[in-house]
Amino acid sequence: MAAVHGDAHGHEHDDHHPSGIMRWITTTNHKDIGTMYLWFSFAMFLVGGTLAMGIRAELYQPGIQILEPELFNQFTTLHGLIMVFGAIMPAFVGFANWQVPMMIGAPDMAFARMNNWSFWLLPVAATLLVGSFFVPGGAAAGGWTFYPPLSTQGGLGVDLMIFSVHILGASSIMGSINIITTILNMRAPGMTMMKMPLFVWTWLITAYLLVLVMPVLAGVVTMLLTDRHFGTSFFNAAGGGDPVMFQHIFWFFGHPEVYIMILPSFGIVSEVIPTFSRKPLFGYSSMVYATASIAILSCVVWAHHMFTAGMPTVGQLFFMYATMLIAVPTGVKVFNWTATMWRGSMSFETPMLFSIGFIFLFVIGGFSGVICAIVPIDIQVQDTYYVIAHFHYVLVSGSLFALFAGAYYWIPKWTGRMYNETLGKWHFWLSMFFFNMTFFVQHFLGLAGMPRRIPDYNLQFADFNMISSLGAFGFGLTQLLFLYIMINCIRSGDKAPQKPWDGATTLEWTHLPTPAPYHSFEKPPIVK
Amino acid sequence: MSNSPADKNHVSVWQIAKAVLSAFMGIRKKSDLEHDAATLKPAHVIIGGIIGGLLFVIGVFSVVKLVIN
Ligand code: HEM
Ligand SMILES: [Cu+2]
Repeated sequence: MAAVHGDAHGHEHDDHHPSGIMRWITTTNHKDIGTMYLWFSFAMFLVGGTLAMGIRAELYQPGIQILEPELFNQFTTLHGLIMVFGAIMPAFVGFANWQVPMMIGAPDMAFARMNNWSFWLLPVAATLLVGSFFVPGGAAAGGWTFYPPLSTQGGLGVDLMIFSVHILGASSIMGSINIITTILNMRAPGMTMMKMPLFVWTWLITAYLLVLVMPVLAGVVTMLLTDRHFGTSFFNAAGGGDPVMFQHIFWFFGHPEVYIMILPSFGIVSEVIPTFSRKPLFGYSSMVYATASIAILSCVVWAHHMFTAGMPTVGQLFFMYATMLIAVPTGVKVFNWTATMWRGSMSFETPMLFSIGFIFLFVIGGFSGVICAIVPIDIQVQDTYYVIAHFHYVLVSGSLFALFAGAYYWIPKWTGRMYNETLGKWHFWLSMFFFNMTFFVQHFLGLAGMPRRIPDYNLQFADFNMISSLGAFGFGLTQLLFLYIMINCIRSGDKAPQKPWDGATTLEWTHLPTPAPYHSFEKPPIVK
Repeated sequence: MSNSPADKNHVSVWQIAKAVLSAFMGIRKKSDLEHDAATLKPAHVIIGGIIGGLLFVIGVFSVVKLVIN
């Protein structure tokens, strides 16, 4: 591996690294690795999106048209797994790789080689997941939450999924340790914790959450594996085990996991909104505090996913109250973003549009979450399309929109070129329109009783499903526009000035040229 | 760090409790925050946060018990 060295004669570009494919396989550079994470996650987004198109095509009309029920269930399962573990999570790690060192004035990530390894585990895991469609019996089909007994009964596909989750978990843990160490140890002089950009803060807290709960996930899939192959009965009532215990362990991972997918997007939005409002973030410190407390509280609400699994009233009330209280710090954040925009001199470039869209739609998702948390209501809507609508509002118009905002915001810094603003705006408005067309009607479907994870449905649900499917096709196509915008920007975008956003204040804009050099901050900046 | 007057850097349990409580609500005055940032150590906040989390659980649980009876 080419050593990072200082050529004593100090000309500008002295990066000696292998070229071609070997550059990417051997790289330990945080920017290269960030780029690979981002392309990987976008590729997975397209795979997961293709599965979604399949699901919506089948649901376009009542009856079974294209996907046999067995295959349909494989589609929904793998759609969920791929989007959560293959698209959203790695995309945030990609942002962390690019941005965290630059934003704290560090030359690279703390463990550069481990960084390379955490990335290269991902394609392996993805191959196992996607490949499982082609093994006898097909892919796992018990839902992305892989509850037993379905997941103890499935075929080889379930084993591949289990190994894939193991590998993804290892990758996430390594990535988190790297991020934590970088943030705690490699900040530039003067960059105290309370001066760190919010994106760095949210990732620090997210990384702690990941280190806390990924081992729980690894544990529960291992128990599943031994139940399947080594004669244990953790989740098998006939052998003295308990299938409900699986749900407890899974959701002890699962609820913090949903915050793992939203906290970094809070971070991105908290960078974008002040920039385009040309005002510092309102309540920086309360944002830090609220993020930390969301992280702690998110560990004590998991059973709100299990109200219908049977639990004593005391349990129901406890998890209902705790869940509703967690909405308080979340609400504080929304208030702070709004207050940041208040009387700011705002402009509405694409990153800002996606951030504002994020606030609007995330609030809808937050409210439907609180509604799901009310036990008597949840007993009605659990396992219906209402829940599907809820979590797509928080994950698509939440996490994904924030990722788009971040991509448009930082692409000039990454590539030295501007994206096409007109097309970016089209991307936003089309996404906004088709997203709501797809998912808003699903609230009504859920309230009317349409169950999730089914390939066929009763006639009374036909109209809304058709609307939803049409919206989904539109949303899917719109994302190809995003791909086009990005490629167009990288290949032939206009040259970007050093600071295309005049309200930006973080180090990567104020202290580094555009595009960011391959090695940045080899001499730390002094932060005042 | 140089030696500064002891009373300025003195951390009371009450200060940690206030920091953690305001964190749970997500609201903190800027001057208090700066004081916290200058004096509190990560260990203080982490232990305070865990105790706060426990108290939160006990608190919600007591309310539930109260409601049920
Ligand atoms: C105000 C905050 C939130 C509240 C009160 C809340 C509440 C809930 C509740 C009670 C459920 C269970 C519904 C059921 O199965 O019947 C649920 C499901 C879900 N939530 Fe949330 N939620 C919130 C925010 C989020 C966020 C930020 C995300 C992700 C970014 C998220 C992702 C999910 C997912 C993926 C599910 C469905 C899991 C499944 O069964 O497949 N939620 N939420
Ligand atoms: Cu949850």
